[in-house]
Amino acid sequence: MVDVTWGGARVGAQDATERAKALNKLRLGDVIFHAVTRSAALLVLLLLGGVMVALFLGSLPALTTFGFDFVTTQSWNPVTEKFGALAPIYGTLITSFIAMLIAVPFGLLIAMFLTELCPMWLRRPIGIAIELLAGIPSIIYGIWGLFVLAPFLQQYVQPALIATFGNVPVLSSLFAGPPYGIGVLTASLILAIMVLPFVTSISRDVFDAVPPVLKEAAYGLGCSTWEVMRYVVLPYTRVGVIGGVMLGLGRALGETMAVTFVIGNAHKISSSLLAPGTTISATIANEFTEAVGDLYTSSLIALGLILFVITFIVLAIARYMLLRIEKRVG
Amino acid sequence: MSIATALPTAVTGHPPVDPSSLRDKVAIRNLEFYYGQSKALKGITLPLYENKVTAFIGPSGCGKSTLLRVLNRMYDLYPNQHAEGQVQFDGINIVEPGLDLNLLRARIGMVFQKPTPFPMSIYENIAFGIRLYEKLSKRDLDQRVEQSLRRAALWDEVKDKLNANGLSLSGGQQQRLCIARTVAVRPEVILFDEPCSALDPISTAKIEELIFELKEDYTIVIVTHNMQQAARVSDYTAFMYLGELVEFGPTDKIFTSPTDRRTQDYITGRFG
Repeated sequence: MVDVTWGGARVGAQDATERAKALNKLRLGDVIFHAVTRSAALLVLLLLGGVMVALFLGSLPALTTFGFDFVTTQSWNPVTEKFGALAPIYGTLITSFIAMLIAVPFGLLIAMFLTELCPMWLRRPIGIAIELLAGIPSIIYGIWGLFVLAPFLQQYVQPALIATFGNVPVLSSLFAGPPYGIGVLTASLILAIMVLPFVTSISRDVFDAVPPVLKEAAYGLGCSTWEVMRYVVLPYTRVGVIGGVMLGLGRALGETMAVTFVIGNAHKISSSLLAPGTTISATIANEFTEAVGDLYTSSLIALGLILFVITFIVLAIARYMLLRIEKRVG
Repeated sequence: MSIATALPTAVTGHPPVDPSSLRDKVAIRNLEFYYGQSKALKGITLPLYENKVTAFIGPSGCGKSTLLRVLNRMYDLYPNQHAEGQVQFDGINIVEPGLDLNLLRARIGMVFQKPTPFPMSIYENIAFGIRLYEKLSKRDLDQRVEQSLRRAALWDEVKDKLNANGLSLSGGQQQRLCIARTVAVRPEVILFDEPCSALDPISTAKIEELIFELKEDYTIVIVTHNMQQAARVSDYTAFMYLGELVEFGPTDKIFTSPTDRRTQDYITGRFG
């Protein structure tokens, strides 16, 4: 074996065997490290699977008793033990939909302002404020919604809505009934505020990922900032923006505490947005403590399973979309 | 080795110019440019003649791209960059604040180093810019799109797939698409920022040919790292070094008998 000079010292054959020993020790450490990290990662899969199995087994009594009627009827009667999930499913979807309707345009506009128009010194404060908005615990949104937002809406906004749209066809039924303050619309507004940071920060990140030269080319044609954003940046980042919207939607669908405070918890589907309603998560949170009887409990777990499936699909779509834009940018 | 034999193309193909026929399309006077505190351009004074091709050459970091980006105020997109001095373009000083930048950029178009097709169809890539300024009927718009694509020598290659995405074209085709897009807006000056540095030799030859044709209608400025290219396509050459304009003159003269030592060193490949 040829002696090797390393850092001025000569390394002989004897040293080499000692080094091989030392390396062997390291290799053992590597094997352990490998095993530990792998089992930690596998634990995640195990947990996810466990949750799915538990939800499925728990909801089995309700699903076998009511069958497909469970998702198509809206009677929810603990006394007669007749349970249909249509009202909470409808409530979950409609509040999330309205929330996105409000949060997406606002989030995109804020992201456009932050990436293109905002002076440098203002970027950080606004960016941090948005991230803080995401960090507020949902119970605080709930309290604020119940004690501040709902009375405000009841006193000023809802009467105005009723007066304005009272004679407009279609819209009049959307804004009918007495202004309770709490209800579907209030819950949607709270959700919109909670989802806004998600939509904003992801849109900002994907807007920032647009190659500067592409924007320069559009400005070079004489486009205004709006035209650059609308015709070049938005189409280029469309997939990523949709991913961000989906992540926000996932949050809105599952949000429990804040919604439970302000939605009114009524098991009925009303055409009016001002009327109280309920969502899947609000129903579960409200009723689990009083759920006596196996069928009642099982129905609540079945609700959970439905929510799980809906959010799972939404998040899967979001992941897929984000993956696609990452591929294109990278 | 004489420079003339090293660059045979430099001394052919450019008939002597009658100086009285030259008109300043753009006149740059005492232009200074700052990135924050650091000065990137020092007292540049330079004419850009109408219907001529002017090349900016020089080693990396000499300020040639910076100078180009002053001409359409591209630097305005970034904070902490500003210019001082005069750039006269049809009687207006374009570095003055309060200028209509969108109009300026329509009149002074730019083609970038990398092809930058917009995320839309080939047809829309061209029509997009036109619609910003003009309301044309469908027929006129079609006609203008065709005209622009023909002008960029791309029509025959894309006429059957105008609805395909602009990104589906090859690099050279994409760059010609960008030229067509620039031409479609009917600018007076076209700025080329190293337009061939990402292209293969055949595409490069096509673009160079195109530049030669375009100068009939436009005033052209090209930044290039490739000295043979500067010699081939330009009528006038400006050699820049460390933010200063070292020498400016007819391309033939710059490449055969430069007056400044640094110019000679650069074009013979002694540095840069």
